[in-house]
Amino acid sequence: MSTARAIADVTDGVIVATIDIRVPPERVFRALTSEEIIQWWVRPGVFDTREWVGDVRVGGRWRASGIGNGKPYTLEGEFTEVDPPRKLVHTWSPVGPALPPSIVTYTLEQIEGGTRLTLRHSGIVAPAMFENTSVGWEVSLETLVELLSAEAA
Amino acid sequence: MSERTYRAIADPTRRAILDRLRQGPANANALAGNFVTSRPAISKHLRILRESGLVIDKPSGRERIYHLNAAPLGEVFGWLGDYRTFWQSSLDQLKRNLEEET
Repeated sequence: MSTARAIADVTDGVIVATIDIRVPPERVFRALTSEEIIQWWVRPGVFDTREWVGDVRVGGRWRASGIGNGKPYTLEGEFTEVDPPRKLVHTWSPVGPALPPSIVTYTLEQIEGGTRLTLRHSGIVAPAMFENTSVGWEVSLETLVELLSAEAA
Repeated sequence: MSERTYRAIADPTRRAILDRLRQGPANANALAGNFVTSRPAISKHLRILRESGLVIDKPSGRERIYHLNAAPLGEVFGWLGDYRTFWQSSLDQLKRNLEEET
């Protein structure tokens, strides 16, 4: 498959995407677990990850920040499975709103001529699913929605 | 943003009821037969689902038949769709970066 195909499952709050990349799994794994993230968590004019730091081991944390539609954002999480070059699992939370973390799982499979990378982002919930929401919270989430939006500004 | 919709699908039993109704309408008895949860608990879940608009009940003789109404999920899909686009776009970028190096 030449480009990523991502599918959303509404009832379960899951995104699944797969892409084939013509480099070995070791190389892909490095791009998932290093500052290189700032070169691909990017969509020109929509979101731009400027900083990424991570302590890549089970229990270690990561944090990313940048600009989405002109507004700053920060994401963070914890690595829960680190199995190079086959599998990487980490939690994902926007900093600020008290949302339970969602979970990002990357699975790398060696295929002829490269790597099949499968992404599963699960447990994605909308803010209003949780009680005790506050206005400030809604604003942070709005920022995240804009950040993640594909619509060009 | 409809809080009722999000609350309705936040619960796994309610999501399972919606999944069941995807296969077709059913009465409360038939629905309760699919779950270990008690009948009163199922009734409560059905009430919350009705209030959210995700389930519509229609009288049929002496009983009520529950139907799925997926329309309110459109909003939730919009929310998830943003993540979908984020990953699709990011993975495409990753592929371009890595393959351009070689």
